[in-house]
Amino acid sequence: MAAFIEIKNLTKKYRLGQEIITALDNVNLSIAQGEFLCILGTSGSGKTTLLHIMAGLEKPVRGEVLVKGVSLTKMKEKDMAYFRRKHMGFIFQSYNLIPTLTAVENVALPLIFDGVEKKEREKRARDLLIQLGLKERLKNKPTEMSGGQQQRVSIARALVNNPKIIFADEPTGNLDSKTTKEIMDILYERVKASGVTLIMVTHDLDLAHYADRVIHMVDGQITKIVEKGVSA
Amino acid sequence: MNKLDILKLAHRNLWRRKARTILTVVGVMIGTTAIVVMLSLGIGLKESQRKSMERWGDLNMIRVQQGINFDREGKPLGEAKKLDDAAVAEIKAIEGVVAVSPAYESGGEAKFGRKRGHIQLIGIDPEEMVNLEFTASLGRLLKAGDRNVMVVGSQVINNFRDEAEIRKMQRGMMFYEGPRRLERKDPGEMMDQRIAMEIRNNSNHEKKRIFNFQVVGVLEGEFKQHAYQAYAPIEDIKRMRKFMMEGTQNGGGDPRMMREIAMKTGGEVRATSSRRPMQGYDPDDYNFLLVRTEDVTKTREVSDILRERGYNTYSIADQLEGIEKTSRTIQAILGGIGGITLLVAAIGITNTMIMSIYERTKEIGIMKVIGATFQDIHAMFLAEAGLIGLMGGTIGLGLSYLVSYIINHFSRNFMSRGLPPGEEVMGISLIPPYLALFAMAFAVLIGVIAGLYPANRAVRLSPINAIRNE
Ligand SMILES: Nc1ncnc2c1ncn2[C@@H]1O[C@H](COP(=O)(O)OP(=O)(O)O)[C@@H](O)[C@H]1O
Ligand SMILES: [Mg+2]
Repeated sequence: MAAFIEIKNLTKKYRLGQEIITALDNVNLSIAQGEFLCILGTSGSGKTTLLHIMAGLEKPVRGEVLVKGVSLTKMKEKDMAYFRRKHMGFIFQSYNLIPTLTAVENVALPLIFDGVEKKEREKRARDLLIQLGLKERLKNKPTEMSGGQQQRVSIARALVNNPKIIFADEPTGNLDSKTTKEIMDILYERVKASGVTLIMVTHDLDLAHYADRVIHMVDGQITKIVEKGVSA
Repeated sequence: MNKLDILKLAHRNLWRRKARTILTVVGVMIGTTAIVVMLSLGIGLKESQRKSMERWGDLNMIRVQQGINFDREGKPLGEAKKLDDAAVAEIKAIEGVVAVSPAYESGGEAKFGRKRGHIQLIGIDPEEMVNLEFTASLGRLLKAGDRNVMVVGSQVINNFRDEAEIRKMQRGMMFYEGPRRLERKDPGEMMDQRIAMEIRNNSNHEKKRIFNFQVVGVLEGEFKQHAYQAYAPIEDIKRMRKFMMEGTQNGGGDPRMMREIAMKTGGEVRATSSRRPMQGYDPDDYNFLLVRTEDVTKTREVSDILRERGYNTYSIADQLEGIEKTSRTIQAILGGIGGITLLVAAIGITNTMIMSIYERTKEIGIMKVIGATFQDIHAMFLAEAGLIGLMGGTIGLGLSYLVSYIINHFSRNFMSRGLPPGEEVMGISLIPPYLALFAMAFAVLIGVIAGLYPANRAVRLSPINAIRNE
């Protein structure tokens, strides 16, 4: 059976003045549909770079990313934007909500770009936010919410377009341990309920147990793959 | 992304930095006001010139005169055309011509009741008078079959004085106070009166004859040229001329007229006393032809055609053209001054947008990551810039109306001084609807153009840099 996401010989280099940094070094990986994949590694190991290339936000020096056989690395910018809007969701460490928009509007933003009507998109955003426990914060701006609440808004935003893949880059990196657990529980529940593929980057070993599979990265290379149930 | 959403988002983003946006809008507002007020002055100027020309004469009337045309260097162009019935027929056939009447000009001492004075009498085809768009304020115009009647201009009465007035004038008790201040007499006084015109023979000044006319109407318009003239059927004038020229050696011709022709043609005045008749002029030729056209544009077209054919034409519309050229230049200068102000405002918009893009780099990146296309980002920033233009343009237009009102209010006293009483005082600043529309569209366009560069910058921003800075 062909994998849902196929990563072949991915190499990425950055130039930093005179120095050339190899952020990814010949990475190969297959991801199944509906899988919760955790990419674990210390800071600077290339996790974010891998995530960005998988999301078509950056182009690799060499190699290819295929989603259902379609090459993202060869896709044109406009088609890629369209692909992200239709099939991908994003969760960031620092939430990255738009400060001027309310919770509902932030969640509805991907649908605005997709041309969904205001009534429809705001209803979907509201429903999601209520499901995530933010009934009292619908009309609040990001600055009026706690970190955990903001991250829940951002999860709702990632889910609103019913994506096939969600990318989460250190989603709990800015949260305390209690909130981290809350957020992870919500995220886990959501992805399992919807069958979405979740690719989560973290340096926190404690989060690994949520994942179906954990990929360990060191210096741009995959050093270890751990399946669920097998302790690291 | 749907258009309304783009506008709403743009609007929202603008008000994040109220002070900055307001200042930028004020810039556009001042620019728009400058351009609109400047152009309104130009338009007002042109309009008031047109009005004063109209007051003086008709814009769709051409006078075809005897004599030939000259080029810029003063060299005659072609041969003089004869003004005869063939010419009348020829001109009538030109497209855009409504009516043509031949005319003789004559004048002389006249008396009515106990008053004496002078009348400048023009003989025209009585049938054509109504088509020439004369209007009578009292009585009627000339009509076919009229004989020994005249229609007088409303100022003609002011040329007549009774014995008492003449004595007063002779004693120097009446100071010349300028025609405006002179007491106006009621032109109705002449209605139905019998005017006796005393005509002298050209070669024998002792020989004179009285020609009687009955006034059947008074012409409308106090300030037009025809206000000082009287009109009579052309056949009556022909009889007068016949008497005037009886026994003239060179076959006739009013000596004044001949002198006039000589001057017009650049010839010598000597021609009047010469035994040879001046070449190309038949004393029976009409003095001039009056041609009525459909409108001002036709007046120009017909004038051009006539000049090409060698006719010597005169129309107020010709002068209007020159005046329009001048006022177009003035308008261009005034508009240019306003344009510079708006250019400065446009730079303000660009500056504001660039600053705003710097501040929102991260946000733009996020939008791109979650699915905004280049076009979406581009449209959003253009919409913001366009909105600044629209707001500045709208407020600026409102302000322009106010400024225009104030200018007109204060210039009114000053302006009305030169105008005849009863005449509507026109503002020197005019904002016609097309100018208002143009100003708004222009302000928005300027905004959008000013937004192009920043919008392109926003599009080029890398989404990665935006979200990597964590
Ligand atoms: N735009 C860039 N220019 C230069 N070097 C970069 C750039 N982005 C990432 N890197 C380098 O690539 C390596 C991998 O970075 P990253 O993928 O962000 O690691 P991680 O997310 O695991 O912390 C690091 O050494 C980082 O400094
Ligand atoms: Mg990282």
